[in-house]
Amino acid sequence: MSEGSELVVDAKGVGKVFGVGDVTVEALRGIDLAIGPGEFISLIGPSGCGKSTLLRLVGDLLTPTSGSVRINGKTPHQARRDRDYGMVFQKATLLDWRTVRRNVELPLEIMHIDQRRSRAAEMLDLVQLSEFAERYPWQLSGGMQQRVAIARALAFRPSLLLMDEPFGALDEMTREAMQQEVLRIYGETGITVVFVTHSIPEAVFLSSRVVVMSPRPGRISAVVPVDLPRPRTEDTRESQGYFDIITQVREALRSQERWVR
Amino acid sequence: MSHHDDAERDLGILETHDSDVLAAFEGDLPGGVPTSARLLRRLRRAVPAAVAFAAVIGAWEALTRALDVQSFILPRPSLIVERFIATSGEIWGAGWNTLVEALGGLVAGIVLGVGVALATVRWVGLRDGVMPFAVAANSVPIIALAPIMNAWFSITSPVSKMAVVAVVVFFPVMINTARGLVEVDAAETELLHSYGASPRQVLRQVRVPHAFPYFFSALKVASALSIIAAIVAEYFGGPQDVLGQYIVAKANLFVYPDAWAAILVASIMGTTLYGLVLIVERLLMPWHVSLRGGDEP
Repeated sequence: MSEGSELVVDAKGVGKVFGVGDVTVEALRGIDLAIGPGEFISLIGPSGCGKSTLLRLVGDLLTPTSGSVRINGKTPHQARRDRDYGMVFQKATLLDWRTVRRNVELPLEIMHIDQRRSRAAEMLDLVQLSEFAERYPWQLSGGMQQRVAIARALAFRPSLLLMDEPFGALDEMTREAMQQEVLRIYGETGITVVFVTHSIPEAVFLSSRVVVMSPRPGRISAVVPVDLPRPRTEDTRESQGYFDIITQVREALRSQERWVR
Repeated sequence: MSHHDDAERDLGILETHDSDVLAAFEGDLPGGVPTSARLLRRLRRAVPAAVAFAAVIGAWEALTRALDVQSFILPRPSLIVERFIATSGEIWGAGWNTLVEALGGLVAGIVLGVGVALATVRWVGLRDGVMPFAVAANSVPIIALAPIMNAWFSITSPVSKMAVVAVVVFFPVMINTARGLVEVDAAETELLHSYGASPRQVLRQVRVPHAFPYFFSALKVASALSIIAAIVAEYFGGPQDVLGQYIVAKANLFVYPDAWAAILVASIMGTTLYGLVLIVERLLMPWHVSLRGGDEP
């Protein structure tokens, strides 16, 4: 009983239907997902499997049609008001008219949190962009912009970080560097992460568990634990254990293919 | 042809003025102190415009002389400049009165336009109800209202001219600003929503900054329109010491070079107003795309 309240994310029988009347799409059906503190969970699956929808239900950007979602034992709405989560999307969505530092300060300003300057400096230090604090977003590369978005998401010290294909628009080299970056931040902060991706290697490299989803309607078809040791490094990417788990995830995805077609 | 050369040099004062305005606002880094290299680049970019301007004035002067065009059809530039200098007290006096009407109407139109635009964000019903009519009204020749405004606000009062200018300015400012306030990136509003921002905070942090470039592109059009509208309103009657009445009076007396000199005053005022808008835009929006240089990391 007290075990349930220790969960950061506790979804039970969650379903989501979009549309009204005859024109409806069942995006999710019967989702059960429990995420403990300090876990790094990836949601992976083909387009239309509802992984982003699930993330949005957790983040209170959507409300479920059926079932329940609890965040730290609270409703997602309450959790959002309590500043329990930070979000990072595929687009960095930095405000063009604010400098890097003032973009990181934005959530603090809106939430009326003090010591914005020192907090922003601390976060920019964490993502190693201190010397770019007074630049404008358009003066940064795509990878740097995404690091600013991460700094902004962490500025108000959330307990849960929601990331929706954050590196989807980056090139492969930048992407791998960003994965290292996220793991370093994850190690330093001990935050819980839910990470949406459609890259199998990315999911395996980052996660403690990979949640494999299948479409029409979106549901969880497998959960693959990743017991690779941390800290994970470039050597991890060349280890046999890493390849074995990638194969497991790939097979879990392939076994649903007949349903996809 | 020495007279021709003199004329070109006289107009050359205007020409450098114009190209400075253009060159000063193209593609430099925000707040960047012009280095000598940058200054040189600006000047070099201004060269084609200066050459084109000189060529047009030169051709105008040469053709009106060669074809012996009568001055009531098209006076020579040199003659216009001559009259511009000779009547400068009169035409700048009239110009000042016209400028006051234009600026008064411009400010009123901006205040009303921005006010209504903000209201359409607050009340969606207002947007759906009013915007279609505003867009329709924007394509109506509003200037035709001038005689009506003369009847509503005394014909002798500058307020009747300001009212015409205000109405002409109102529509582009309102429509553009409203569009800028509403057509924001959904990802940006969603981001603020995730922080639990109030509608007021979304307005301040996202909508208003987003509307700035829309507002300024409307203002550039409106600043030129304000002088045009004031002069056209003056054509429909009122005090004599304004540009519109001065031009009409001189044309009626067939003193066309004097009318052209007054038109030159109107052009200088319109261009200056436009330049001022560019300066204010640059000062208020150091982040804007059009002001970005090539200084990538």
